[in-house]
Amino acid sequence: MTKKMTVAAALLASVAALPALGQERGGVLNFARYDGSNLIDPIYADRNPDIWMVGSLFDTLLRSDENGSIVPGLAESFDVSEDGSAVTLTLREGLKFSDGSALTGEDVVFSLDRARNPDLGPWAGLLGNIDSVSHDGRKVTIELSTPDPTILSMLATFTTGIVSKAAFEAAEGETDQDKSAALFAATAPGVGSGPFYLCGFEQGTSMEFCANQHYWRAGADGEPLPYLDGVHFEIIPDDATRVLKLQAGEVDAAEFIPFSRVAELEADPSIEMNLFPSTRIIYAPINTRETRADGSPNPLADPKVRQALNYATNKQALIGLVLQGAGKPMTSPLMAAATQLATETDPLYGYDMERAKALIDEAGLAPGTEITLTTLAGSADDGTIFAALQQMWAPLGIKLVVEQVDNATRGAKNRSGEFDIHTYGWVNDVNDPSQVTGWLGYTPTANAVGTGWENSEFNTLFEESAKEMDPAARAQQYAEMQEIYAEAAPLLFLYETPFAVAVSDAVEGYVQTPLGNNQFEEATVSR
Amino acid sequence: MAAIQYILKRLLLMIPTFFLVMIIIFLLVRLLPGDPAIAIAGDRASDADLAAIRERLGLNQPLWMQFWHFVTNTLQGDLGRSILMRAPVIEVIANRLPTTLFLTIYAVLLSVLIAGPLAFVAALNRGRWPDAVIRTVFQIGLSMPVFYIGLILLTFLAAQLRWFPVGGYGETFGARLYHLFLPAVAVALYTSAIIMRNLRSAIIEVVDAEYVQFARAKGLPAHQILGRHVLRNALISTVTLLGLSIGNLMSGTLVTETVFAVPGVGRLMLEAIFARDYPLIQGLTLTFALLVSVVFLLTDLIQSLLDPRMRLT
Repeated sequence: MTKKMTVAAALLASVAALPALGQERGGVLNFARYDGSNLIDPIYADRNPDIWMVGSLFDTLLRSDENGSIVPGLAESFDVSEDGSAVTLTLREGLKFSDGSALTGEDVVFSLDRARNPDLGPWAGLLGNIDSVSHDGRKVTIELSTPDPTILSMLATFTTGIVSKAAFEAAEGETDQDKSAALFAATAPGVGSGPFYLCGFEQGTSMEFCANQHYWRAGADGEPLPYLDGVHFEIIPDDATRVLKLQAGEVDAAEFIPFSRVAELEADPSIEMNLFPSTRIIYAPINTRETRADGSPNPLADPKVRQALNYATNKQALIGLVLQGAGKPMTSPLMAAATQLATETDPLYGYDMERAKALIDEAGLAPGTEITLTTLAGSADDGTIFAALQQMWAPLGIKLVVEQVDNATRGAKNRSGEFDIHTYGWVNDVNDPSQVTGWLGYTPTANAVGTGWENSEFNTLFEESAKEMDPAARAQQYAEMQEIYAEAAPLLFLYETPFAVAVSDAVEGYVQTPLGNNQFEEATVSR
Repeated sequence: MAAIQYILKRLLLMIPTFFLVMIIIFLLVRLLPGDPAIAIAGDRASDADLAAIRERLGLNQPLWMQFWHFVTNTLQGDLGRSILMRAPVIEVIANRLPTTLFLTIYAVLLSVLIAGPLAFVAALNRGRWPDAVIRTVFQIGLSMPVFYIGLILLTFLAAQLRWFPVGGYGETFGARLYHLFLPAVAVALYTSAIIMRNLRSAIIEVVDAEYVQFARAKGLPAHQILGRHVLRNALISTVTLLGLSIGNLMSGTLVTETVFAVPGVGRLMLEAIFARDYPLIQGLTLTFALLVSVVFLLTDLIQSLLDPRMRLT
């Protein structure tokens, strides 16, 4: 070999080795959480701290990509029949659970049947249109009782995560609940179909994810994801302590950074402050019933008064006060701008005090009318919102008083209608606008978020949209619903907030999706 | 013999106390607005889902029947299943209790170690500058909320100087001493301030007492006067106060455990209340009641040892 050739060979070798060198692998990411998980089972997960972890442990047949489109997941291809009555999917070849056992159509049937069983989890209603699930080798067929435009989104939702039938049935316990609890107990070796499996769990304290060596997705280097060996979670409920822990270098990432600390962390060169786009909206349901719970006439029953309150609320100022600017006013009355089919009404009730005053005059609201705002006790954000609204609405002759309660009490008041206005928030669980629209506007779901607002045109549109298979027609229905809702204003429309997660500069590739799910599969940490 | 009889009598007396605690806590948690079913299924759950959960948890039964189940199960050592943790309440508490006990005992020891010597220095320098400095510092400690002291300690000693970890609670005994030092100090500051004030005035009182003056006149060495007469007599009221403070210390852990990310029963209680986890709240309350009763009993026993005039009857 001549010298020239050796150099060329060495060059070639180094070029070939580049992608591998460029991708860091290994290491454990330490993540500080605001609250712990209780049960990370796809069908029993009911609180966000549970739901947002499910995707790391249990993969779904389909996935949502960064743009919100549905793309193949465990299934390499999918097809909806012409008449919308069936979905057929083909599983990828050679799929395995984290314990090395094969992931088959049998597991898919088991998981989906479990997920749609209304006697088990709270999410069965999302799959209510499924008539049967069957498989033939790698081919899975889902028969629907009525065409369902949301079915593909549901197959990319945490509750349809695929669990191992064999592992589940082998778990201790009599009932499905007992078996689930046993599978997620501290001592049980977890079985996962996602990029990780649960390998340690001390409830309320810590949680360990270990890399699933058999995960089907490949990283940039052609090897299976995830890049990390694992993730270690610590539960640190106090906001200030979580930030201190990150600043002291004891953890690599901390979630739910208070917005008042964002600027300070952005200025820290060793920390990267992420504000991930989210589907979270902050709004305040308004009681629209003719009378209050105590029988007295309700001034807020008049849509003009509700519109006036919306015009008199300077959202930009609130965003400055509460979020230190890290947010944007709601532009669709029903959902965050990141949600599919959201209409952009910009501005949605932009600040206009003159118009607000005119509406109040038209409605004939007596000066000095007392309205109660129910807020969360101990929430600094709610305290700020109250103080600001009290001032903003004073020119309308409204005397705003505050009532502070805890979360459980607020929920009970919402249900019983014993409130005038109360603070609330929402994050989508599903990559489809039907869930949030049903929650906020459809009367049979939850009395239109407890407001008691009822609009037959809206209800009919919602019911029709639930079986409308033509995307254009469905989009039109959603546009109309948003128009009706904005006009009626059963909410005080406030703002959208991002997910604030701060990571050390050693961390790359961690993402929190608009639905809140934590994605660690493409994360790396360099030490 | 008298002591054993006394203890038995006290234990018997604890039975009606516990029954009262059970009635009160049972009714109190049910008087709270908010529904465990909503706490479980979330605000978005349908009425049918909520009804199913209430049925499963027995919350749709009449109140007296729920109470009857609670009492009979508790007598059989079954505190029910935690709604939030989906595990037996006894297991959940047993997992978390050692950490809180460790923290509480640690804080008691620190309180005594901090307050004891300083009380002597202050008392023996009454009216001079060491007395003034010590009393002022403790006055500040008394008037600051525990979470605020906690955050100050964390910011300076942990995050900036890095002498201590910011959170966590350690695996080994030594690691626990190290990890829980700051939380223990935060909890102990308040108690030590109370103990210091009490002990200081007790010492001053005893030092001025005639028998001490007499002993001094007799020419007894100072250390004997301090050890045999002053300390022993001054400690009586302080032990009582320390016993009474244990309840305070345990409630202090509610806040401290949250700030310092220590997974004990204090934080668990807060979580249980927010989730309206009736069985867990009941179980924790009974546990707290049991612990406080035991501490009071021990306090009385120690007192009688210190002062034979207090007979165990």
